[in-house]
Amino acid sequence: MTAIAKWSAWRRISQTVEWRLTTHFFGAMFDFGILTPAGADSLTHFLMGGIGCLLALGLGATRVYAAKYAALSGAHSPEPYRLAVLGDDLFLIGLPMLILALLTVLVSHSVFPDERDFRILSPLPVRRIVIVRAKLAALGLYTGMFIAVIHLALAPLMLLTCIGRYREHAIVWRFAASLISSVTASLFSVLAITALSGALMLVLSRTRFHSLGALAKSGMLTALVLCIPFVFHLPGLGRAMSARADWLMLLPPSWFVGLEHVLLGSFDSWFLRLAMIAATALLLASSVVAGVYIVLFRHFEALLLRPPSVSSGWLRRLADSQTVQAFARTRWTGAAAPAFRAVRRFTAATFARSQLHQGVIIGLSACGLSLALRRLVGSDLMSHIGSSNPPSLSFMGSIAWAPFALMFVCGIGIRAAIALPMAHHANWIFRMTESEEGRREEMRAVNHLAIAYVVGPPVALAVVVMWLLLGSAAAIIAAFIVSAVGVVFVHLVLLDWRRIPFTCSYLPGKRLVAHTLVFGFAAFALFTSAGSVLLGISAIRPSIPVAIASALFALGWFLQRRRFAMWLETPLIFDDDLPDQPLQLGL
Amino acid sequence: MLEARGLTKRYGGFLALDRVDFHVRRGEILGYLGPNGSGKSTTVNMVVGLIDPSGGSLRLDGTHILDDPEGYRRRVGYVPEEPHLYTHLTATEYLMLVGRLRDLSEQTLAQRVAELLRLLLLWDSRYATMSSYSKGMRQRVLLAAALLHNPDVLVLDEPFSGLDVTAGLLFRTLLRMFVAGNRMVLFSTHRFDMVEQLCSRVVILSHGRIVAEHDVASLRDGQSPSLEELFVRATGQEDFTPIAQQILDVIQTV
Repeated sequence: MTAIAKWSAWRRISQTVEWRLTTHFFGAMFDFGILTPAGADSLTHFLMGGIGCLLALGLGATRVYAAKYAALSGAHSPEPYRLAVLGDDLFLIGLPMLILALLTVLVSHSVFPDERDFRILSPLPVRRIVIVRAKLAALGLYTGMFIAVIHLALAPLMLLTCIGRYREHAIVWRFAASLISSVTASLFSVLAITALSGALMLVLSRTRFHSLGALAKSGMLTALVLCIPFVFHLPGLGRAMSARADWLMLLPPSWFVGLEHVLLGSFDSWFLRLAMIAATALLLASSVVAGVYIVLFRHFEALLLRPPSVSSGWLRRLADSQTVQAFARTRWTGAAAPAFRAVRRFTAATFARSQLHQGVIIGLSACGLSLALRRLVGSDLMSHIGSSNPPSLSFMGSIAWAPFALMFVCGIGIRAAIALPMAHHANWIFRMTESEEGRREEMRAVNHLAIAYVVGPPVALAVVVMWLLLGSAAAIIAAFIVSAVGVVFVHLVLLDWRRIPFTCSYLPGKRLVAHTLVFGFAAFALFTSAGSVLLGISAIRPSIPVAIASALFALGWFLQRRRFAMWLETPLIFDDDLPDQPLQLGL
Repeated sequence: MLEARGLTKRYGGFLALDRVDFHVRRGEILGYLGPNGSGKSTTVNMVVGLIDPSGGSLRLDGTHILDDPEGYRRRVGYVPEEPHLYTHLTATEYLMLVGRLRDLSEQTLAQRVAELLRLLLLWDSRYATMSSYSKGMRQRVLLAAALLHNPDVLVLDEPFSGLDVTAGLLFRTLLRMFVAGNRMVLFSTHRFDMVEQLCSRVVILSHGRIVAEHDVASLRDGQSPSLEELFVRATGQEDFTPIAQQILDVIQTV
């Protein structure tokens, strides 16, 4: 076929309805419904930067792996090399699986045709099968793109595991087997998440899908984020793999390591069993996804255009009962101003039902939790519990660091989540009812929610760990110090905050990503160090924690007064602005 | 009385509203008519306090609204043209939110919300989020939200769009009874029939200026031209035949 003929064929494909719909659906995967066109451009640049970073990280890791395998090839015995390859196989399969699963969860709102697609496309002369095929093709493009990028980044590492002195297979075959099993594992990851989302879509009623779907998505996101530290422990599991530990049957990456070995010609029963599990899981996930698409194709109207449910459910009926209503009125009347209650309930309802906002806050908080847990597990917490030996200084440093790491990430998470708008055009009701007194109460509600979220989990973590290690007195001291630091931290994070959650427009990319990252890491390091030092010196003498907590609460009180004064004088913001100071080139 | 004097709005160099004067007396529904882009929504947004005027004044019972903006907003209810609502909330949750923002006591609010939901036929859907509501249902929620705090002035921007015949009839009766209680309604619309049936006076706006003002009763005497004829004359859009012909030409020949 000549170049001109190929070009003509491509032009014909690109002008078909199906291709145009595919590109539209592909674009919609990056549309979270809150960005302006400028914001969407900014997101595209950010994603391109992210892909570049991923490739650069892959190249960076290559140097580390090259040194590791050079050392292993120089060893006298092949055993360390064999164990390292087994562990790295798990890692090189598990990491892409995790990344792809996270990426699929992020776009799970648009992997199936939904009500909007139906309402917009139905009046047009487009056959339903075309819509369904285009959706599938868009999902394929999206996952294909990321699978390609991730494996391109990891290819040098895979190659390094194939070329050592003690290798057991030809380089090309081993590399091909590694690549095939890793790509298959990534595909399984995508299909499993898609299957779960699809099953929920079919099982839940239209009215419940919004709230329960959001919860399920957040649950998946949390579980995946919590897996991040464990994925980086996979290279250390070579020995367990070699010993054929039974629990590895529950670890999806090990299934695909089995597949890799079968592809390399192994008839070992252990690897055959693992490969069988991999094939079954892949088949099951594909069948569910195919089934969901078929059911949606055949019964779209019945499933997605069902009228809203009028059944109330026992919880709703209970909430609606006269007794509960009377109790609720007694409980809340006079407890807080109406504006306070309005914002508190609005924020809680939005977090309960919006997938985007829930995803941001839970995703980031899970990162914080995983950082904290990783540090605690890494510092060998379990062996210190119940031990009569006094804990070392470095161990105490790790223990004291964990709650503040969690607090910092939760603080950033809640600020990021409440800054994202929800139906920006509906904010007129807040604008129309703004008043000086109301504004103060509304902002107080934001403060209360932020303090509960940012202070609560770290205090719980600190109390539990300190109680287990050092007893009740240390736990009480830790609770005081962590709470006091948390109150100050919330006031600092929300120092210039003048918005009702989710009501202000959002302009991403106001600051350079590099600037934000450098500033963020520096602030994280400073905050966690300062927090752990304060907690550490609190253990020296009983008077010290009292003095520290008093000073911190006084600072918190001062910051709160300052913010209250600002809320009384300054109107709320409903439209995000670019910074008024131009960026200086510094030439 | 709600009174606008020399109301002006500029967006940069663009003059959206140019020295507009009108008033709404107590017990009156004032029709506010105009083609798209004539400045109707700009006026409405200024009257409800969502945007500030570039010039002129708005007074309620002789008091400039800027002298007590919060007090003024407490006396105004508003139904916007588009049903912009937080559709992730249920109708009950939304009305409770609005009532709390309007500083209503919890007991009053709970009773009013329940009754309004029943009367506006939204009771059966009270547990469903408004994302599953039809446009008419959302419009009814907006009307309930506008009435919840028992306002003195009601500002309506195309409130009948999406409503079925029964709800439309209910709304018309409700508005008549509302103003009979010595209250005021500013009624911005495109629909001549609604103005003729509901309003006592009508103001016609074109290119940001008031081009006509009439007593609707005088238009019904059979001697005067109809409201539609008045509108096309006042806005200078007398004959649409050439444009209609051009549209047909475009779809048939281009």
